[in-house]
Order: sequence, then structure tokens, then C-alpha cells
Amino acid sequence: MGSEEQTRMEEMFDNLRADKYPLKEYTYIGKRIPRRIDGVVKAAGQAVYTMDVQLPGMLHMRFLTSPYPHAKIKNMDTGKAEKLPGVRTVLRYDDPEIPEFAPISGHTPTADEPPLPRIAHFQGEEVGAAVAADTETIAEQALTLIKTDWEERPFNLDTEAAPLQDTAIANLEMYPDSNHINEGLLDVLELGDVEKGFAEADKIFEFKSFRRLHTWVGPERPCGVIKWNGDCIEAWVKQQRPHIAKRVISKWFGGIPMNQIQVHCLSQGASFGGWSQTNWNMGGHYCAAVIARRTGRPVKWTFNRREDFYGGSMDEGAYFYKVGAKEDGTITAVWGDSILSNQIYPVFNPLKHLVENTRIPNIYCKHKVVMINKGPTVPTRCEQNSAAHAFTMIFDHVAGELGLDPTEVALKNDGADGHDMDWLNQQKAKRGFEVRDSLRECVEKGKAAIGWDEKWHPPGEKKLANGRMHGLGFTWTHEWDDSAGSSEMAIRIERNDGTATILGMGCDNGVDAESSYCQVAADELGMRLEDVHYNPQFDPGYFRMTPDSSTNMSINGFAVRHAARILKKKILEVATTPVGKSQRGEFPPAFPDAGPEELNIKDSVIFLKADPEKKMPLSELVGASFNSGPLVDPEALGVRTPFTVPLFAFGYHTQTGTYQPNQPRPRFCRQGHFMEVEVDTDTGQIIVTRVVNTNDVGKVINRASCEGQQYGGTYMGVGRGISEEVIYDPVTGVMLNGNLLDYKIATILDSGPIDTILIESGMGYGPYGVVGIGEDIATLIPTLLGPAVYNAIGVRINDFPITPDKILTALGKV
Amino acid sequence: MKRFVHINAKTVEEAVSCLNRYGGKGSLIAGGTDLLGKMKDMILPNYPEALINLKTIPGLDYIDEKDGLFTIGALTRLQDIADHPALKDRCYALAEAARRTASPHLREMGTLAGNICQDIRCWYYRNENNRFPCLRKGGGRCYAIDGDNRYHSIFGGSVKKGCYAVHPSDTAPALIALNAKIITSKRSIKAEDFFKVGVKTTTILDSDEIVTGIQIRKPENGSKSAFLKFAIRKSIDFPLVNAAACISSAGGKVTAARICLNAVYVKPYRAVKAEDAIIGKAITEENAAAAGEAAVVEADPLPHNAYMVQIAKTLVIRTLLACRE
Repeated sequence: MGSEEQTRMEEMFDNLRADKYPLKEYTYIGKRIPRRIDGVVKAAGQAVYTMDVQLPGMLHMRFLTSPYPHAKIKNMDTGKAEKLPGVRTVLRYDDPEIPEFAPISGHTPTADEPPLPRIAHFQGEEVGAAVAADTETIAEQALTLIKTDWEERPFNLDTEAAPLQDTAIANLEMYPDSNHINEGLLDVLELGDVEKGFAEADKIFEFKSFRRLHTWVGPERPCGVIKWNGDCIEAWVKQQRPHIAKRVISKWFGGIPMNQIQVHCLSQGASFGGWSQTNWNMGGHYCAAVIARRTGRPVKWTFNRREDFYGGSMDEGAYFYKVGAKEDGTITAVWGDSILSNQIYPVFNPLKHLVENTRIPNIYCKHKVVMINKGPTVPTRCEQNSAAHAFTMIFDHVAGELGLDPTEVALKNDGADGHDMDWLNQQKAKRGFEVRDSLRECVEKGKAAIGWDEKWHPPGEKKLANGRMHGLGFTWTHEWDDSAGSSEMAIRIERNDGTATILGMGCDNGVDAESSYCQVAADELGMRLEDVHYNPQFDPGYFRMTPDSSTNMSINGFAVRHAARILKKKILEVATTPVGKSQRGEFPPAFPDAGPEELNIKDSVIFLKADPEKKMPLSELVGASFNSGPLVDPEALGVRTPFTVPLFAFGYHTQTGTYQPNQPRPRFCRQGHFMEVEVDTDTGQIIVTRVVNTNDVGKVINRASCEGQQYGGTYMGVGRGISEEVIYDPVTGVMLNGNLLDYKIATILDSGPIDTILIESGMGYGPYGVVGIGEDIATLIPTLLGPAVYNAIGVRINDFPITPDKILTALGKV
Repeated sequence: MKRFVHINAKTVEEAVSCLNRYGGKGSLIAGGTDLLGKMKDMILPNYPEALINLKTIPGLDYIDEKDGLFTIGALTRLQDIADHPALKDRCYALAEAARRTASPHLREMGTLAGNICQDIRCWYYRNENNRFPCLRKGGGRCYAIDGDNRYHSIFGGSVKKGCYAVHPSDTAPALIALNAKIITSKRSIKAEDFFKVGVKTTTILDSDEIVTGIQIRKPENGSKSAFLKFAIRKSIDFPLVNAAACISSAGGKVTAARICLNAVYVKPYRAVKAEDAIIGKAITEENAAAAGEAAVVEADPLPHNAYMVQIAKTLVIRTLLACRE
């Protein structure tokens, strides 16, 4: 390929250094830009979501769900349902076109799964039958006419008890011998020698914590649409990574060529991880594809609101800790054990963050994954929930046990991979970064904003004039957004007006990453921001990371930057190079006397650096999409129409990132969060009165998006900390609160004022030194309620969410 | 949702006639904020055949003040009550209860009569597709007793002593504290007598009876009312416990007291013992605390909801203190 930018592009793969090629000046990057790409249509209610899709002749499909937490269909009579007027097809588990197993995995390639299972492993699971009818109402009604003879099986809802010998096996099909499914498989994290570390400690203490099940609950119901156009398939998917859907679909029905699959991924309010990653998602499409082919009609499948509540976050379960520390707060050893439920990917050890951003030399943690009869747990708003939970728990307990200020304990133990800050600073310098103490900056700025030094007090000692107890809490960890991933993105300059279109198939996740790509492209190309557009709903074939997998800008930012730089070079070459010759003569370049290096672009205008008055707008350079046919030929009238080669370039990036067992990239950037609460000790109510988020994002690209993550992450985190819990009936195993009233997501009113502080140390491996901010705040804030409440009432509540009953019980008032 | 007939009633008489015509298979609808959720989730064994829309009846959306009497039309929206200056001034407990109900959107739809006629809250009763055919649906048992009863009654059950679902209205305790009267198409009923638990019912209304308005005698000078709500979220939440009080005082002593809790029992729970404890005394921290204790002396919580007793006690104390002159 050869060009300099090409070489740089590939140099960045698994880059272990600071960005060697940042821009000299930024016009849009880092600014509060005047628009967000999806802003007007969403605010005006004009955005189109998958649920809005209506196609001529479209059928509506609904699934039968299991009323029991563990049951097998013995017999099923669908006769009455099939006879209901308006019902077109009833697809059954024993249909010849329904294989026992099919490739329907969501996020990551895993073993094939039953697209329409006969056995339910949790109440509410889609099993046995799917009905396609003229309307959703008729499909619903038909489901009630299906007579199912169930064989109920013993079930198990208790994570902590699940591995015990005498408990019911939750999934006899996949794990017939034990509910403990990851014995020997990614189940231990080990660093140093914990026994040695405990021997060095002045104080050793043990405790336990619980995180109850919480779930993703997107604003939209899960759904999808499938349409066959001959042998080609067209799919409307509500997916975090639509390209995965395309890849999965290509494996169906003996194989469908990728170029015969068209995927649309329309607006999404959010997805919060969960949904895209479960097999139900592609299972829904699979069944819809079978029915669509059979009936010759497009099929939309839908879940109802409640059906989106099954499953949940990977941190559900029990955690056990033993911690050794010196009097000054230096942690010498941490031993952990955990039992967490239903993880499809049992890879995230709860003590992982202790390795990634502390100097603690001795760490051991056993990580048991057990199956219970609730839905699958997957990355929900983030996959690091258990790690962030354990990290906050451990650090705050150390401060509490030793009577120290938690911000001091944090600074005392900052480091990476068991090494101290000296080592970490050497790593920063060695990799070409400016050496900055990210955590200290977060702590100092955050403390000043919340008034920590004036307000900090020992636990349970500050009663306010209003009678409530005052509490302060602090937690911290490393940055996010630097994991493995790949991206391909392209940019095309449009004929007629010279605007730029970014091409890359991702999804709109509500975080407005798309505007950030436009900022990067505009600054790199020298174009006005309003001249750069990106439509993520269009499938140009190129795939990009969407803001999931904890990775967005560090990968996509590179891809779009490379594409822009290659394209800019191409534009300037075109502006200075003649293109071929037609019958009427050659097409002279716009700047015949200049070389490309003598030109630059600013505000979408190409100009001669030495004489900026010699300029030409990009629109003029690229000219019109004019096909000079026989009727109107300007050239016959002596008007020369410009002609340029198509201006188009692509960029790409791939990296392993930092989420690896032996990380080649130590984490340098930190974040710290501060919370102030008042606790009403007579009612058990927690009132969050202020939250301060400090995030070292390396370099801000889109300021409003960064702050949006802080606001959104905070209020969502507060809800997860004080109220979010999926509750099951212990007797029947039926979910009790699968609706947005009884499953209590906080509102912005529940957080108090939120201070958003962004720090730009430049110590990220991404383009311009970025690291991410998505996911992490919502992941850290829930457990921060624990330290804040402890500081208020002086009693530990290690059971999340911290609901009023737990506070009143802890205070001896129940 | 299944199909149903929808009738726009033009008069109360027409609505009553429709109720008779459908013989128990018709449901009234005004704001619809409770009914539509129930219908969508198919929580009941039988689906209504007809919805009789009351919103099309003119003249039922008003707040009137005449001769010391507030009259509020049945269709008056909760937000209008919350915003009404005279109600805020003289019937503070009701205005505040309306303000704390649900969310802004729901308050702009939900009506006062609908709020007191709403159905019980219980996650077994309201589980989708009639998953739990409990006592209130004519079934054989209550599923909450052995299940998760963290939000259920702390004062025992009803319907064969078996149903522990709570009445969730915010305005009901305020109306009882303010000694309001519920005016129906047939009669006038004291607010405290209005609520009655039966299979499929939460009020004493006959099957063809419609609430048309609410009357509240303007509290005399020297009386004060208060409403407090405890909920998990600051907005869009039903009460975990709420409490309303209306206190008349003279010479620094309480001469009359009406205190009502809700969301703690199968119907609004008038805390008579708390009233007795405070009458004749000054509202001091100590006396209010004694009244709070008295309010919950008959509490008999279930395995998961003993904490609600503490909250109920606290709210009684605080509503009383809020009524201090």
C-alpha cells in the first residue's frame, strides 16, 4: 500500500506508545459542538426505531413463554391457535425447519443454541412456539389458545446455595452434574503470594458482600423484522453490533452469501449491553426468517415489555473477602472468593481491577460461576460490574477498618500490576507520555468540588440540622475503553456540494459517538463540521465498533482519522494533478502551478498556503454529478465542466488493548467519584445530595457526550445502588416486578446536582491520547452508595441495592 | 389487548345505563392510567367487554368553592388539584397528595375519582396473564403470604383474612383526614366509609354507581392539614407508606384530629389510636412520638415488611409535627 499514512495506520495496531501524530491544532475536537447528529430527530419524535417498521403484508410474531422456572414441554396442542382468524403460521419446537441447534449466538461466537427450545430454564423464557399473525394482538391471543402439557422440574433461584450438593440442577441439558460450571476454567486470578502478604499486614479483616440481580431494560422493546427478497434476506435489527447479526445470518439455512444480506439498524434509544448479547435476539430473527420464507411475507417479531426484564447483570451473587493492610493504609494482600450467577462469559474476575490499577502485590481470587433458574447474565451497561463492586468494597473497608481517609488509601495504593507509582511513571515516560499523576488530579479536583476537606468526618458522626445523618463516599478505578476490537470506516466526498460522508456500519446507541467521528473527520480534513455527516443506519458493509465492548473512540477514532488523513492527501493531489483527457481536451487541475504540499484545507476551502487568497471551495473542486448526455452538453457551449476522480478513502484499526491477562499496556488514566448523601434514620431513606465525577479521559473529543455519560451514568448508578432489583417469587420462581413501575430505575431527581469534571492528561493509547468514558460511571456509582451510607450511619450495609428495609434493620429499628 | 366496545357517555345517567347493560362486564374509564395497564397486562381472568368513557360527560371537571364547601368534580385532574390556590391554602393535605402522585404526565391524565377508585397494588395480583389467580380474583389463596411480601399489608388481611395487597392511593388518606364526602350517582358517602375490600372490589360502590364528585367542608380556622409520602423514587412511584393528618387546635391543644395512613393495609387505615393519643394535647415532639407509637400498635407485619411499621410510625409523627401551628 505504501503511503506514509498507511504505514502509520498499521503502526498503531496494538500501539504501545503515546500518539506520535496528533494534530497541531483543534477546531472542533474537544469543543462543545452546536449539534448532535441524532438530536433533532429524536427530540422531535421523528426518529424511526425498529419497532416502527411497517412493511406491506407484514406479519407479527410473538413467542410462547414458560410460566415455570424450569420445565419441559411434554405435549403441545396448537390446533386452536392455528384456527384463529388472522393467524398465518404457528411455528413449533418440533417443526422440521427448526433445528435442535442453530448458530444464533449474539456478541461472541459461542456454541450453537436451540432457536426454539422445548425446555425452559427460567420463567418467561421463549419456548415451544412462535405465532405469526396479521396483528400483534391476534398473535397474543393465539398464544393463549396453545395448550401445553408441561413437565415441571425442580428449580433453583439461590446463587449462593447453587453449588451445594442437594440443590436442584438448574440446567440438566448443558450442565447435568453440577450448577458450578467453570471449575478450572478462567476461575482463578493470582498475583504474588497472599499468605506472605497477610504475614506482612498489621491488620487483617474479612467480610462479605452481595449484589442482587439487576438488569438492562432498554427503552425499547426487543424486536426485529425479516424480509426475503428472493434468495436475499433483509433484516431490521435492534443490535449493538449489527455486523454480528449479519455474520450470524450468513450461517443460516446452509449459508447465505454476505452480499445477499442487507441489514438495517435504525435508531436505538440505548441498549445497555444486555439484549444484543443474548441468543434470544438472533433466535427471534431465526424463527422470523423461517416464517417469512414459508409465508412469503415480512415478519416482525416482538417481545413485550416484561420479556425484556429476564436476564441481568453479571455481578449478581455473593462476594467474600479477606484483606491485609498496614496501619498506613498500604494493602499487602487480598484474597477473594465469589459466586456469581448465569454468566455466559465467565471471564471477568471480581478482583481484576486490583491487578490493573494498584500496587497490591499479593492477590488471589476464586471466581465461581453457577447456574440458577433466572435468565442469562451478560454485560449489562458494562461487564466490569463485579470488579468495580469488589474494588469499591475493598478500598472503603480498608479505610474504615484503619480509620483513614479513603482518598488517602487510594493514593497510597495506586499503581499497576503489583508495582508502585514509580514503576508506573517509568512506564508512562518510556511510552512517550507526559508523566502525570492521574488519580491525584482526580482526587484533588473532586475533593475541591465537593468540599471534602471541610466535610469529611468519621462514620456516623455528623447529624444535620434536618435530623438526617450526613455521609461522604469516594471510589475510584482506572479508565475504560481500551479493549480488543477492530474497525473499518471510510469517507467519501460527495459530488455537487463537496460535503463528506462517513461510512461505517455500527449502531446508534444513544451516546452520540457519531458526532464525535464527524469532529475528528472535520478537523483532520479541514472541513466545516456541518459539512461532515454520518448515518450509522446505513449499511455500507464496513463494520465499526459501536460503543460497546468497552471500546469506541480508541478504535473507531483511529479508523476515521486514518481515512480522513488519506483522503485529505488525495484531495490535495487531485487539486494539483491533471486527470486524463477527453475528446475536447484535458482537465486541468484546480491549482496547476502548485504541489499538494503547498496546499491546505480550512473551512472546506482549499487554499494555497503561501497565498490564502488563491482558494477554491471543495464543492467546486469535485464538481457536479453531471452526466453530459446528448441533449444538454455544456461543453458544446464551450463551458468546461470540472472532472475529478472519485474522492474516497478508507481507514482501519485493530488492537488487542488492555483487557488482557498479561497486559502489554498498563493503565495510566484514572477516575474518581465522590458522593454526598443524607440518610433518614427513621425511614431508611437515602437522599443523594451531590455527586462529583472526575474522569481523566486523556483527551476530550465531544465534550457534551462526555458530560452526558457522567450525568447518565450517575443517575443510573444511583438507581442501581438504591433500588434496582429483579425480584422473583421464591415459591413459584416467577418474576414479580418485570415492569418499569415495580423495577425501580432512578430518575434524574434522585441524584441531586452532579458536577462533571473532565481531566485531559493525554495518557491514553487512543488517537490524540483518548481513553473512554462510556459505561464506567454507571458501573462505579452503584457501590459508592455503600461507602457514603457507611460514612453517614456508621454501620456497614454490604447488600446491594441498599433499600430502606436494610438500613432500618442495620440500625436495629425493625 | 383484546377487543372491546368503547362507549363515549354523554351523561352520568347514560354511563349508569351502560353499566347496567353490560352487567359487571363493563368498566368505567376516565384518565385510564390504572385500567389500561391492567388490560394490557391481562391481569384479570375476565376482560372487560366494554369501556364506558366518562371524559365525554361535560361538567365533571371543576373545582368549586361556595359557602365554605369545596366541591371537586370527579374528572378533575390531579395536577389541577395540586395547583389550585385555595385547595393549597385550605386543604393542603389533598393538594400535596395530588402533587406527589405518580409523575407529571400521569397527573395530567389521572383524575381524582380515578385515584380513589384505583385497584390494589400487589405484584402477585398484577402479574401478567393472570399468572396468580388469587383471592381477589375469586381464587383460592394469597400468594404473597408465603412469597415476597415486602410491600404488603402490615395490619393484617382481608377477604377471608387472606388478601394482603395494599391500597395505593395518595389522595384517599388526605380525603379521609379532611373528612371529605364522596358524591355518587346515588348518594353521598363519607370518605372513610367509601373503601371496602371484597373479591374484585375496593369500594362500597354498587356495580351501577359512579362517583361524580368530592365535597370537602373548608376546614375551620385553627386547623391545619399535612400529607407525607414515602416512596423509593422521588417521582413516578407509588407510596411505600403515606400519611395524612388534619388537626384542629385551640389554646395550643389539639381539639380534633383525623389521621390516615395508606399503602399499609388493604384499604386506607385510619389511625384512630393515634388520634386519641394526640387529642387534648399539644403537638410536641414527645406527644407526636406517642401518637406515632399508637398508630402502629396493632401492626402485625408479614415476614418481609416489618420495616414498614417503622416508616408508618415516622410518617404519623412527622405529619402531626407538620400540623403544628
